[in-house]
Amino acid sequence: MGKFAAWVGYLIVLLGLPQLFDSVLAITILNQMAIAIVFALSYNMLLGQGGMLSFGHAVYFGLGGFMAVHALIMIEFETVYFSITLIPLVGGLIGLVAAIFVGSFSTHKAGTVFAMISLGIGELVAASSLIFVSFFGGEAGVSADRTFGPPFFGIEFFQDVEIYYLSAGWVFVATVFMYLFTQTPAGRMANAVRDNPERAEFIGYSARRVRFISFCTSGFFAGVAGGLFALNYEFITEENLNAVTSGRVLLMAYIGGLGYFIGPIIGAVVLTLMNSLLSNYTELWMLYLGIMFVLTVLFLPRGFAGFIMIHQTAWLRGKLSSLFLPYLITGMPAIMFGGSILAAIEMLHHDGEPFGFLFITLDSGNTLHWLALTAVAAASYYACWRSLGQLNAAWEEANGVGDPTERGPG
Amino acid sequence: MSILSLHNVSKSFGKTEIIRGVNLDIQAGERHAIIGPNGAGKSTLFHLISGKYQLSSGRITFRDQEIQNRPPYEIVRLGLARSFQVTNIFPRLSVFENVRCGMLWKQGLGYSFRHLLGSQTELNARAMRLLEEINLDDRADFPAGELAYAQQRALELGVAIASGADLIMLDEPVAGMSLSEAEAAVSLIRKITEGKTLVIVEHDMNIVFDIADRISVLVYGEIIASDSPQAIRANPKVQEAYLGEAALEDAGGNDA
Repeated sequence: MGKFAAWVGYLIVLLGLPQLFDSVLAITILNQMAIAIVFALSYNMLLGQGGMLSFGHAVYFGLGGFMAVHALIMIEFETVYFSITLIPLVGGLIGLVAAIFVGSFSTHKAGTVFAMISLGIGELVAASSLIFVSFFGGEAGVSADRTFGPPFFGIEFFQDVEIYYLSAGWVFVATVFMYLFTQTPAGRMANAVRDNPERAEFIGYSARRVRFISFCTSGFFAGVAGGLFALNYEFITEENLNAVTSGRVLLMAYIGGLGYFIGPIIGAVVLTLMNSLLSNYTELWMLYLGIMFVLTVLFLPRGFAGFIMIHQTAWLRGKLSSLFLPYLITGMPAIMFGGSILAAIEMLHHDGEPFGFLFITLDSGNTLHWLALTAVAAASYYACWRSLGQLNAAWEEANGVGDPTERGPG
Repeated sequence: MSILSLHNVSKSFGKTEIIRGVNLDIQAGERHAIIGPNGAGKSTLFHLISGKYQLSSGRITFRDQEIQNRPPYEIVRLGLARSFQVTNIFPRLSVFENVRCGMLWKQGLGYSFRHLLGSQTELNARAMRLLEEINLDDRADFPAGELAYAQQRALELGVAIASGADLIMLDEPVAGMSLSEAEAAVSLIRKITEGKTLVIVEHDMNIVFDIADRISVLVYGEIIASDSPQAIRANPKVQEAYLGEAALEDAGGNDA
């Protein structure tokens, strides 16, 4: 029942968001999130669940997207006749076909061999996209108009919010199916092969075949995401299948948390928000994204989802609320310290010209500003460092560390 | 009736011949131990039978089917399962998942993505029963990698027998265990291989002579004797091989 409630909640959130955030910008961001969620979940099927590190996952997203745009063009010119609501399926099928082809030789090994092949295929397809202009449209890409198709229950998809509801439906269905996949023999053996491909062979499974199945399924859902992209933007370019897009989906899945099904969803939401909101405030958002990635790898190796999950013990012991104050005491100076570092970076960036930072105006030419910043940084660092002891104690208390009545593993 | 037969099996790594023309018959239902000094090729022999290594020459038949040079997953599907000397489980999967994964193929689920494991009631019950047999039922939900060493070894056995194979090959199942752990492991091995054929490699001679119906002695890649425990104990060639090793070590010391 708990799981069922979680799914209903997920659907309500998906459908309710445009009610809460109904500005043009918000709908644009929501559409981007929808695409990113499906894409990141499909990526996690490879890396998190199957142990295959891919540097070229955008290939399946992009090829699906290109074919989806071509399908929209065909609908427009009445070469084919079907509702544009099925466009993501077109993208998915193309992603699947491409994955069957590439997977037939790339899934032989995981690890470095797989990663290098994925990188090579990614570069190859990105290069081809500038060569085969009739399909990929060269640097300009290809574009279409989604409003020419037969209306879907009277909806002609002139507005982005209509596309959002369509996308939300696809996101929900895709998430359900990707979750169910993890519960099947093929999905569970993907975990087993990730953990130990050798032993998997000694319990009756070809590691290669298991990887191939995950790879193809993942390619299909990446293509679905590409189809959603095509519907939303009505155009697609080489940029959507190159290494930058492949890198971004890796970041999403990793920052969100590879080991957890919801990890990539969190990652997709966070990165989309950073991408669209932070970029309004600073030109340096890519730098901050990089810093966040490095910090995540160093301090939260299991991502945001992993950070949430380590609180499970405290939650089960009913001690979660006892952590709130200690977190606040350490968190406030930590945020202050981070903020002062950011301010310093921005001051170096805006060399010599005053700029607005949060509620104040900073100027790198003003020595007083530098001194104040240094003071804040030093004070907050000290406060943070001093408070670690109480946080540690509270953590051990909440998790029952050192309590002999607690039963640990082993 | 022999269930597993090796005919002139040889294996070389480069110019080094590790297994040199081994002939061996394992009878259905027997407990057969393979012993021999370090470096005799016992583990290599296991790897050849189970499909991990390719043969250089020779034939292996299991139930009248030739299995040499077939991939491990095809061999295990025929009913020949094995465990490993170094624990070889799925560390991030739960203990329960480990044994259930071992059961999937035999259950006929194959690579299916249309069946949900949660609804396989009979399979799940069987996996729980196996966990009870190997005394890990109270650890079912733990990640396998977090188990204590002896428990991981028990799980190693559990994964090996999960497929319901008729022939089980165990590679040093009690290595690295304390005396009491080893005793528990031996009685566990007896219990779970009841009615099956067992081939075991083990260093501890007490355990070997306790458990085996028949013993084969492998020295420098050759089987020098294959007989009942009493006959092996009395065999002058075997005594020589073991004594010879000690003598050689002494000789090496003198040379230096």
